Amino acid sequence: MENNTSNSSDLGYTFSILLLRIWLGIRSLQTGIEKFAGVKMSETAVTIDGAPNTYGLTESTGEKAYAFSNYQGVPQALHDKFVGEPLIPGFFLTIYDFVLGPALLILGLTLLLGVATRVSLFAMGLLYTSLTFGLILLKQDAGIAWLGTHIILIVMALVLAKHNRFTIMNKW
Amino acid sequence: MTRSMGAGLVMGAPSILSAASKGPSDALKIGIIGFGKQGRVLFEAMSNIKGLHFQAVCDIWEYNRKGGMGKVRALQGHVPNGYVDAEEMLSKEKDLDAVIVATPDFWHAPHTNMCLEAGLHVYCEKMMSNTLDGARSMVRAMEKTGKLCQIGHQRRSNPRYRYTLNELIKKQNVTGQIVNVNGQWNRAVSSSQDIAYKESLAIDPTILKKYGFKDMHQFMNWRTYRDLSGGPISDLGAHQIDIFNWFLGTVPTRLYASGGNDYFKDREHFDNVMVIFDYDTDQGGVRAFYQVLTTTSAGGGYYESFMGADGTIHISERAAYTNFYRESGSSRSWDPLVEKGYLMKAYAAAPAGDGGADAIASYESAAPEAYALPGNFNKPPHQPHLENFFASVRGEEKLRCDARHAFESEAPIYWVNPSALEKKPITLTEEHLSV
Repeated sequence: MENNTSNSSDLGYTFSILLLRIWLGIRSLQTGIEKFAGVKMSETAVTIDGAPNTYGLTESTGEKAYAFSNYQGVPQALHDKFVGEPLIPGFFLTIYDFVLGPALLILGLTLLLGVATRVSLFAMGLLYTSLTFGLILLKQDAGIAWLGTHIILIVMALVLAKHNRFTIMNKW
Repeated sequence: MTRSMGAGLVMGAPSILSAASKGPSDALKIGIIGFGKQGRVLFEAMSNIKGLHFQAVCDIWEYNRKGGMGKVRALQGHVPNGYVDAEEMLSKEKDLDAVIVATPDFWHAPHTNMCLEAGLHVYCEKMMSNTLDGARSMVRAMEKTGKLCQIGHQRRSNPRYRYTLNELIKKQNVTGQIVNVNGQWNRAVSSSQDIAYKESLAIDPTILKKYGFKDMHQFMNWRTYRDLSGGPISDLGAHQIDIFNWFLGTVPTRLYASGGNDYFKDREHFDNVMVIFDYDTDQGGVRAFYQVLTTTSAGGGYYESFMGADGTIHISERAAYTNFYRESGSSRSWDPLVEKGYLMKAYAAAPAGDGGADAIASYESAAPEAYALPGNFNKPPHQPHLENFFASVRGEEKLRCDARHAFESEAPIYWVNPSALEKKPITLTEEHLSV
């Protein structure tokens, strides 16, 4: 009876860490992918009296598209604000902007695949903490609280890490 | 200057319209003279046009010159040749096809004429010159050399303007008889301040003097000096008064202007100018009013409004300021035009007459119905005009605003400041308006 309870409890923990890995992994991976998203506009000539007009009057339609050329690590609106922050040197902002997207992609993948889960979770926690620091400078309290919930989920995942299964590399 | 002459001049086909020096597969070799604010605007628009090779950049200010060369390098991967002096550029760059002139107004005629004389096609920013004689010399140089000279009245190539004139006014006659034209460019005081510069970047005074500037302030703010430019009525008003003349198909017969240094008291040019033009068109007399202010952007920004008995066209380079209004009493419905796609129904007009306690019914007219254009265009405003210029160089199109037609439309504008200074109306004659 005790064994059954222990087994079902372990299964619950295993599913818990698995769900947290999936949630945090997708959250990170897709956020990284979205850094490469843009809108591909297409123009079509407006039809007037049954024929496309020859003046160049057009209707615009936008379609979401992904491309390396669209990459923007720190969103432009935030980037512009950080430029004026004395505690964020320009060179650091440039590096951070370059690294942020790939970091989110890599950490998302390692969590989903179960590669060095603890280290990945810890690195993700540090990454979200760095984002929190930026939002503190901009006094964006809602964003800080939102990132705080991520940190809580990461801590929960770390606590449950000993029950981690379905992994490629369970070491670290 | 007769009415028919004016109509012919503004509406007729330009005398020198296209060249066929290049086939579609050859890149046109371009030189840019003047890479300041307007030069950058033109370059950004040209950077979207295929088949151009920017070979040389000329500007007396190293900051502009190197900045321009950097932009060219970023666009096409090589550093263009840089020059301080336009004559030197022309003497060394023997295989240019065309030159873009975006220098201060008082340099437009010398630069344009020397390029035309060198056998190059020219796109020159408006106003053609700071003087009427300078503008005249550009027309003569274009016609003598047989080279193309497009003047930067870019609205003439704007699809919304061309469509409105050709389809809605000429073919569909949506306005009926136009009796009144109204236009304005109200620019905020914050956008009208002197342009500052860093002392460390200042041009050597001997170079400034050589090129006609007494100091760096004058170089940066040439638009405010009488010897170097025509002031706000020329800088801003020329675009819109050109539309008055183009749409009406003629030039004014008389003007009366008022102006003053009402806010920027130390400037040589008036900061606040209003002018009334009288036109004699094929449909009858037209009164036109234009104002340019440098102290507020309130009052609807910048637009031109053509008011007819059946409808009003309120058009601007900004799509947001463009609308069409059908007079409620007009016997002609615009519903068929909407069904065929010529116009779209816009937002509902505000009620009039019985709308509130402050309205006196007998004073009020019924509100006109609002309509909008069926489409837009999403390019930089100068791009279609530049495309037309380069297509004309290739022999594929005809210029939409060559120097002669630009002159015919601009000539009345040169008489606005004299009228305001002398506080007298001026009746425009052939002497005022001809080359």
